[in-house]
Amino acid sequence: MRHSARPLRHARWQSALAIAAIASAVALPVVLVSVGEGVDAHEISTLEQSGYQIVVSAQGMHGLERAHQDAAKLLALPSVLDAEPILSISIDVINRTGNYSAAIAEGIVPSEFAATLSPTERGLFPLPLPLGDPNDTQHYQMGSYAGPTTYDVILSQPYAAAAHVTVGSTVVLSPTTNASLGIRYNVTGLFGPQESIFQPAGAFAALLLLSNLQTLTGYAVGPRTVVPDGADTIEVVVTPSAAESPSGLSSVEQEVQAALPSYTVTSVSSEAAQLRSADGILTGFYLALSSVGLAVGLLFLALVLVRRVERDRRSIGIRRAIGLPQRSVAASIVTDGATLAATGAIVGVAAGVAVVEGLATWATSTVQEAARLAIFAPTFLGELGLGVVGLSVLASAAAVRVAWRVEVLEALR
Amino acid sequence: MSGSAAPLVELAGVVRTYAEGEAEEVRALRGIDLTLPAGEFVSIGGPSGCGKTTLLNLVGLLDTPTAGEVRWNDQPVGLRTDRERSRLRLETVGFIFQRFYLLPTLTAAENVELPMRALGRPRAERRARAVELLREVGLEERARAYPHQLSGGEEQRVAIARAVANDPGLLLADEPTGELDSASARVVLDLLGRVRAGRSATLVLVTHNPEVAARASRHLALRDGRIVADRREA
Repeated sequence: MRHSARPLRHARWQSALAIAAIASAVALPVVLVSVGEGVDAHEISTLEQSGYQIVVSAQGMHGLERAHQDAAKLLALPSVLDAEPILSISIDVINRTGNYSAAIAEGIVPSEFAATLSPTERGLFPLPLPLGDPNDTQHYQMGSYAGPTTYDVILSQPYAAAAHVTVGSTVVLSPTTNASLGIRYNVTGLFGPQESIFQPAGAFAALLLLSNLQTLTGYAVGPRTVVPDGADTIEVVVTPSAAESPSGLSSVEQEVQAALPSYTVTSVSSEAAQLRSADGILTGFYLALSSVGLAVGLLFLALVLVRRVERDRRSIGIRRAIGLPQRSVAASIVTDGATLAATGAIVGVAAGVAVVEGLATWATSTVQEAARLAIFAPTFLGELGLGVVGLSVLASAAAVRVAWRVEVLEALR
Repeated sequence: MSGSAAPLVELAGVVRTYAEGEAEEVRALRGIDLTLPAGEFVSIGGPSGCGKTTLLNLVGLLDTPTAGEVRWNDQPVGLRTDRERSRLRLETVGFIFQRFYLLPTLTAAENVELPMRALGRPRAERRARAVELLREVGLEERARAYPHQLSGGEEQRVAIARAVANDPGLLLADEPTGELDSASARVVLDLLGRVRAGRSATLVLVTHNPEVAARASRHLALRDGRIVADRREA
């Protein structure tokens, strides 16, 4: 290897360019796959650690039509501990000074909500939730929405700070940017920022009773053109014994599906499996994308090696004249190529890691957060490096072929 | 290390034609019959283009005849594969070229080690032998120098050390002093004579310098691809 490394110094620019080409081809998948894997692993972990195990959903936004009744049906099942209908929708919040700001609001049933939280999330909320009616039955009153309500809301801390709202004050929540359509709510508490790589924009900022949000936004009983008791999903918590085994969970999943045949029922574990599958597809796509760069890098390496053989015809002739077999000359070319490729792979991995570290330090919030989640899997990096070195053998083939054709006497002339 | 015995080399009716059948056809050798007994010091002289180097290349298995036969120890070598002939060269022949032909990317010691590496000799053994050979040619101190850091005479001495690295029985030198000043040439010729004598190797030396040729015990003269004189010293 020492001998083969020395010619590299004699063609510094060519070698540097070949190494740079391979390095940039390697750095791209390192960045894409490492960040992609990190984000996916985080999302899967979050999903797996959530407090609920089964999700009921419908086609389209807010497609569940009898959220309270359906949740009650599920609660009647022996293996179901909690069933939490959720309506998630964007509203406007108007503070005391009349400033508008958009917020994602979640309508929930407080008594069921806590059970659907992961242990980490649970610590973020004031429990029991200070939203007046813990079961959201008074205002709802069997679908009439005629009962009394307290109009309480709790806000996320970053959102409250940005909107200059404190606990004890009031805000107007409105479905549009029109305060006259809004209702004044009491801010009864704050909750910690949600753990999400897209925070704060993607996480909900306001939490209120499901029936309050339904009536505010028109997803309550009304004309037939709108859904009567709308929600997006019902998150279902099953008993520990049912959650223990995949078969137990599958059995509850079937019970839930039987209770609500019109809707889609999925388990969190199957969602995690789907995420993993999507992650695999995405990784394959990243690698396919990177293979273009890699092909260019290897082509460049092949050209550099051919150029080197043409330049070193005399040296090859001398070696052959001395009696070195052709395979020895071929081996030195392949070793040369592998040395350049290995150097390029090492530089590429280092560059990829440096880019991700740079993004994690200096990029804007979402990119930065994603970069911080990056996973540099030694197996992947090792396989990538070995793959590049392996492919360098193919890249060396053209140069070996040229060297094979060198006529000894002609080369010595 | 036991070196290879010097082979008895015989050429019978050897013809070498370049670009045969083409307009620029060159008949470099036109029927050479020659026997080179083991241990002999032979000079080949003659004007430029008379076929001296072609003859040397045929003897050293770097080239194959267009017609006729080259035999080593009564065995024809013309039909051997390229690989077999490479192996024979590696084990039995040491080449010394006019332009030295050291590999520029290797040090003097590494150049000397090269034929031994090709034979698969252990690293420590070939290192020690390279140092020993460089000492023999008076260049032990220059072992780590690259060819461009050596004088012409030094380069040729390294080339001689490389040529004898595998203790070949046949040394072929093509104008070994052609690029050297007279002082360096004398040193190189003395050295060549010493290493040949020390190993009882056959030395075939191509030169058109009569002073160089005078050191040989047998003198061949070529003209137009034919041997026109074959004289042994008394």
